[in-house]
Amino acid sequence: MTGALAAFAAFGAAETATAWPVKTVAARAAEALPDNVWLAVLYMALALAGLGALVSGLGMGLIYLERKIAAHFQCRLGPMRVGPHGIFQTVADTFKLLFKEDIVPARADKALHVLAPFLAMTSTVLMLGVIPYSPVLQISDVNIGVLYITAVSGLGVMGILLGGWSSYNKWSLIGAMRGAAQIISYEVSATLALLVVVMFAGTLSLSGIVTSQAEGWWIWRAPVVGGIAFLIYLTASTAEINRTPFDIPEGESELTAGFHTEYSGLRFAFFFLAEFINMFVVAALTVTLFLGGWMPFHVGGANAFNAVMDLVPPGAWFLGKTALVVFVIMWFRWTFPRLRVDQLMRLEWKILLPIGFANLALGALAVLYSLYFFPGA
Amino acid sequence: MTVNVKTLNDIIAPPGAAASALATEEYFVNMGPQHPIAHGSLRLVVRLDGETVREVIPVPGFVHRGIEKMAEHLSWRQLIHLTDRTDYLSALMNNWAVARTIEQAAGLATNDRIETVRTIVAELQRLQSHALWWGVLGMDLGAFTPFLYGFREREVISEIFEDTIGARLTMNYIQPGGLMYDIHPDFAQKTKRVLAYLKPKIDEYGTLLSGNVILQERLRNIGVLPAARAIALGCTGPVLRASGVPCDLRKVEPYGVYASAEFDVPVGSKGDCWDRYCVRIEEMRQSIRIVEQLIDHIPEGPHTTVKFGARIKVPEGIHYGQIETARGILGVTIVAGGKADAPYRLHFRSPNFNNLWAVTELARGWRIADIIAIQSTLDLVVPDIDR
Amino acid sequence: MARVKLTDTRKETRTLAGRPVPVVVTPRFARRGRLAVFADALASLLAGMRLTFGYLVRPSTVVTRQYPENRATLKLPARFRARLRLTLDEHGYQRCTACRLCERACPNASIRILTRPGALSKHELDRYIWRMDSCVFCNACVQSCPFGALEMTAEFEHAVFDRRLLIFTLNRYAGPPASVLLKEPDEAKRAAAMEPRDPYGGPVPLNGTDLPYLKALAVAPRPDPVRHAAAPAPGGQA
Repeated sequence: MTGALAAFAAFGAAETATAWPVKTVAARAAEALPDNVWLAVLYMALALAGLGALVSGLGMGLIYLERKIAAHFQCRLGPMRVGPHGIFQTVADTFKLLFKEDIVPARADKALHVLAPFLAMTSTVLMLGVIPYSPVLQISDVNIGVLYITAVSGLGVMGILLGGWSSYNKWSLIGAMRGAAQIISYEVSATLALLVVVMFAGTLSLSGIVTSQAEGWWIWRAPVVGGIAFLIYLTASTAEINRTPFDIPEGESELTAGFHTEYSGLRFAFFFLAEFINMFVVAALTVTLFLGGWMPFHVGGANAFNAVMDLVPPGAWFLGKTALVVFVIMWFRWTFPRLRVDQLMRLEWKILLPIGFANLALGALAVLYSLYFFPGA
Repeated sequence: MTVNVKTLNDIIAPPGAAASALATEEYFVNMGPQHPIAHGSLRLVVRLDGETVREVIPVPGFVHRGIEKMAEHLSWRQLIHLTDRTDYLSALMNNWAVARTIEQAAGLATNDRIETVRTIVAELQRLQSHALWWGVLGMDLGAFTPFLYGFREREVISEIFEDTIGARLTMNYIQPGGLMYDIHPDFAQKTKRVLAYLKPKIDEYGTLLSGNVILQERLRNIGVLPAARAIALGCTGPVLRASGVPCDLRKVEPYGVYASAEFDVPVGSKGDCWDRYCVRIEEMRQSIRIVEQLIDHIPEGPHTTVKFGARIKVPEGIHYGQIETARGILGVTIVAGGKADAPYRLHFRSPNFNNLWAVTELARGWRIADIIAIQSTLDLVVPDIDR
Repeated sequence: MARVKLTDTRKETRTLAGRPVPVVVTPRFARRGRLAVFADALASLLAGMRLTFGYLVRPSTVVTRQYPENRATLKLPARFRARLRLTLDEHGYQRCTACRLCERACPNASIRILTRPGALSKHELDRYIWRMDSCVFCNACVQSCPFGALEMTAEFEHAVFDRRLLIFTLNRYAGPPASVLLKEPDEAKRAAAMEPRDPYGGPVPLNGTDLPYLKALAVAPRPDPVRHAAAPAPGGQA
């Protein structure tokens, strides 16, 4: 047993060949502020432009990927006409959505109906700001990053709830109620899984969590507990972003389109975009918390191997890992049927939550007795 | 004598008082005619208490085209083509039902070749219909991928039909006294190739959906239809067999060459959605078995015994014939007389119409999502309900 | 060992109405422990994911056909019913004798035959009008024709912007059938008996008539693809 553990430890014992100095855009701006106001403004403008580009680029890229991957899961080709292999299909679709008539149902609550998609979008974009994409590519490293993420992602449910409520449509309302119940329930499990990592890393800052994984990623460095927390987080966050098999708020065969039944044109596009960016955010957080963020993959002792791994820039590591998690989430969607609403609740409250609590307790013991691999290395 | 007619309005009228202390209200939603579950355009008025279904009131009629009335104006030959458009997923079996009734009534004889080919194409169509049903069930339950797989399997069978019949949906192939065309020279070979392709695919269905825990949980013990209720409601086909009644016309009242083929009738034991699901999957295997036995032994002979121009004389009176389609028993009642070459009255006892009303009993007390599962496993084809 | 074994079917014989029916009873769920059920559930999910992944990584399993691009290689079955045509014999003469059997066989009056007194025969075909907009492609006309004068072909690209373009005059000329024409030895007289007809035109409502609220058709008659006289007749009654 100890032998196996030692071997496992050796596998993961990484030597930090390079120290990664973390410098966020916000930090750079703050540094520049006393000397040169315009430089600070430039940094902030860059950050904003970067966020905008990220949102639109990610949205289009992910939608295209989803369609292509779905197609090949289903023995189809997917979009093939607009551009080579249909790469401009999403651009064309975006233009179509932009020019579509924006319909607000006659007896809808107009103000809320208009507001809801922006709320959904806002919560998503706010989360993008704190994700460490690479040591130098992070807009702001909030020292309570994990807490911030949990709080802000809860805001997204307001968009769904208001959208469904204000539409004056029973299907929308059912969808919104289901969505609210589901997201709030699953947030509990997701948070419990996050806490495991927070305990091990000893910090709430996302950058801090990434740098704490220099010697090994938490998914396996925290023995068993990390893996279970990873699975719980993946499941719970898939449910939080309403993707199959947990897409009951918009389950199209039951509720036509759920909370966004009455949305069209640009406002529908916002819900749609928010959904896809959410998928990216969830994948990025999974990577940050469990898979080492932008940390390269290191094998303890294998210095030559580690040096080769270091050649790949950290940003690429982050992107690659995130793409993998995004793919897995898409893979779920194109394989599984949908759960029923009460089964969904049962899964959360009777299965995930007890496991999550037990896992957290075990994790606490592991931290208390330094039972994780190479503590303090 | 007074008759108390319960109208839709009576049912929809708000219930007396809310029982719960929370003073919740029941509400109605229209599932359809424009709803993904409507499978065409079936309207279900659903009385809900939160997510719980209190009552389902089917309102069919949106695809009513008056097919039975139209048939009164068409000759015996012409009216066959209308049956393609009732239950379009078992068009050949509908053709056969009418052709067989006319043959019985008019005393037209067919030969072994005709009956064998009819049996083979009917079983192929049953396979095709069930493959599509499987895909649509997957989609109804939220898994989009099976839908494409189901269509993929449907397509290879459609290609056989294209070669021999020249159509993919509206077949009009089986005619009184024979077939429209003889089978294509490649028919047997191609069919065998397709069967070899289909067998592993049905196992794949098991991996992708049947074995999936989510699907099992969505179907298990949902919408239990006891055998007695199934019989009382007039349910037939896989719906009735899933309740444990081994009623399959192919066995109990063999037509075509089913008597010479060896196959088993799949039956369920409980009558829930899962049983209805399994019965259809098993039926696909049995259909393959039937076709495999027959495909190498198609007797020689002409493909029709009645010249097209020949007048078919159906004696005056009421004639009834029935056939087991992919969805159950299709009964054809013909009232002949009055006009020389056309029915005075034609009536279809369509399996879907009777199966539809099972949803009113099955869905009560379950969730919204269970209506979907129940309706999917009843495998309704709406144009056949409305006709 | 799964909770429900899909292959676990049970064969037995039941009776219905006094008749023995061999049945196969479909599988049901076994009672099993929570952990086993949980493990089984995870395994079932992974099995499904493995299946779909198999299709993802094997592009050869793609079944999509890129339709407009593959038009050159598109092969449709010979019997495919998509467009009605009047067949021509080896001299290029029509076989239709205007006997109206097809008109009577048509279940929804999609065929209308206009005749006129002919020079070589008592009456001859003037216009063979086929309303594709109401045709159900039941093949009754082809089957009813005792002369093999009709065929269904696989030309399926019917989309047009004007519904009037779905009403065709099928005959290329008004005149007697091949059987009558061939009795006339004089080529010039044969040619004189044949008056050309274009696909769009004639007295059928919407078919080229000048209704006040309809603009005239701005479409040239569709060129008739060359029919191969040697093409095998797709079975049928003939």
